[in-house]
Amino acid sequence: MNDRLVQTLVPIGADIFRSLMIAAGIIVFSFFLIRMIPGDIVDVMGIEGTLTYGQQDAMRESLGLDVGWWQQFTAWLGMVAGGDFGASLRYGTPILDLLRVAMAPTLILGASALAIGLTLGIGLPVLACVFQKPLFVGLVQFITLWSIVVPTFSIGILSVIVFAVWLGWIPAIGNIMVPAIILGMDTAGTLAKMLHEDMVDTERAAFVRTARAKGLSRWRIVLRHILPNALTVVVALFGILLAGALTGAITMEVVFGLPGLGTLTLQAIQGRDYPVVQAVVIWLGLTVVIANLISDLVQRALDPRIGR
Amino acid sequence: MSLTLAPFAALRRNRIPPLTAVGVAIVVLLIGVALLGPLLTPHDPYQFSIRMDESPSADHWLGTDDQGHDVLSRLIAGTRLSLMFGAGAALIALGIGAALSLVALSFGRIAETGVFSFFDLIRALPGILFALAFVAAFEPGATSVMLALGVSFSPMFAMITRATWRQQMARPYVAAAQVLGASRIRVTVVHVLPNIIGALVTQFAIILPRCIVLESVMSFLGLGVSPETPTWGRMIANATQNTEAAPHAVLAPILALSVATFGMALVGDAMRRGFDPDRRRIAV
Repeated sequence: MNDRLVQTLVPIGADIFRSLMIAAGIIVFSFFLIRMIPGDIVDVMGIEGTLTYGQQDAMRESLGLDVGWWQQFTAWLGMVAGGDFGASLRYGTPILDLLRVAMAPTLILGASALAIGLTLGIGLPVLACVFQKPLFVGLVQFITLWSIVVPTFSIGILSVIVFAVWLGWIPAIGNIMVPAIILGMDTAGTLAKMLHEDMVDTERAAFVRTARAKGLSRWRIVLRHILPNALTVVVALFGILLAGALTGAITMEVVFGLPGLGTLTLQAIQGRDYPVVQAVVIWLGLTVVIANLISDLVQRALDPRIGR
Repeated sequence: MSLTLAPFAALRRNRIPPLTAVGVAIVVLLIGVALLGPLLTPHDPYQFSIRMDESPSADHWLGTDDQGHDVLSRLIAGTRLSLMFGAGAALIALGIGAALSLVALSFGRIAETGVFSFFDLIRALPGILFALAFVAAFEPGATSVMLALGVSFSPMFAMITRATWRQQMARPYVAAAQVLGASRIRVTVVHVLPNIIGALVTQFAIILPRCIVLESVMSFLGLGVSPETPTWGRMIANATQNTEAAPHAVLAPILALSVATFGMALVGDAMRRGFDPDRRRIAV
């Protein structure tokens, strides 16, 4: 009994430990990567001609940029540990406020994309499996092929030209529906492919033959016997899908002119506002780490064969 | 060696699916245009002129952009650049991913854990975000974009290297080599490496179109090459400011990018399926 408990807990502990290490890595990485940028915010504003040398020194002092990197790092680490990312160097606003405002469009876009992706990505393989008609199998193949060969970036720009500029159906900036559909189809393709392959494999399993022999309806066989088995694929892919949706959201935001995290990051990079860049890297990075951890743990719970 | 040639053997055995043939044709065309580039351009791609935003005509087949450049000429010049930068990034990813992981794998457990934690870390950061931060830290430009994409895609090669390496290490020929006294390093380099090259080449074919797209995205975001350089991404970035007046100037590079990635992805996918005979059910 004790052995069994250890056998269950040790891999879980290892998973959590690994996630913590990666999270720590992301935090350290985001600090040092951004610190390698030649020149700081004060230089940039100096070149812009808004500050005298005296003001520049005073500003460095007030921003804490006049001490060595080690002191800056430890001071920053203390703040981040307390959930405080500091203030934007450029606007003076607390970064948490900036993030909160910018999070909304990114989250809405990412979440709608994931919702569309999960609906199509699970729905189409299920229909294909239930009916086994060329139409549904063809749809699965189409969306799979689509996500492999059509990058969201190019189809996004094409949609802006066609729907916004030519047809005038959507506003050229600020539309969230079209990018959500584009990202959703991309997510759906990745998922539908894996799920379809897994369901076709499961179809040959002995317990499915038994279910058929019992005379169960096709829907019941698929929904109660095949799908639950294949759903581990969805769980396993969840972290990757979420990361993909967030990454895609960053590009789509810029293409469709949404004021989200991507736009914020881009502006911050151009303005050398590194605390903002750090904060975004940490937020998104930790989101992905947590999603991956949850997906690992759920997988372990669902499938006892993993990690033994 | 049989495994190395598996995808091609699979293609020879079966009839080549029509879509794969389309992909191959596109890739061949792209390589041709990239190689012959300067011979094909009807105008100087860098030449400004006062004939701005002109619609396609006999003189300018794809029209001109907002600075009077000939769009077709820039598109052709851009083919070479975009393919080069994309391939550069993918090669860097292959180099870092495969080399680091093979070294780590041949040295043993501790090296493996260390190196693969590094890859896990990179994998945890959304790719484009990593590339953005990386390019911001160094000077924006073609080299840092290639490096950034190379590093951010390297885990994709590391994972496939480790997976195939493990498969190969379980094979009898490895045991035979070990019995004859070959060290772990020798087994990895001399015996296993030749057998995983095929998997790496396939992965390269899958990653290459993604690198080309992401290079374009980075240029589009203003973090890639200088504005004058006619990569497809840069052309898209310049022309999207001006879609009303010259829609052809943005359509041309976006379609080129789409067709290129379409073709390459088809070829990459066909190669992947050639490796994995069980997974050929979704026949493309």
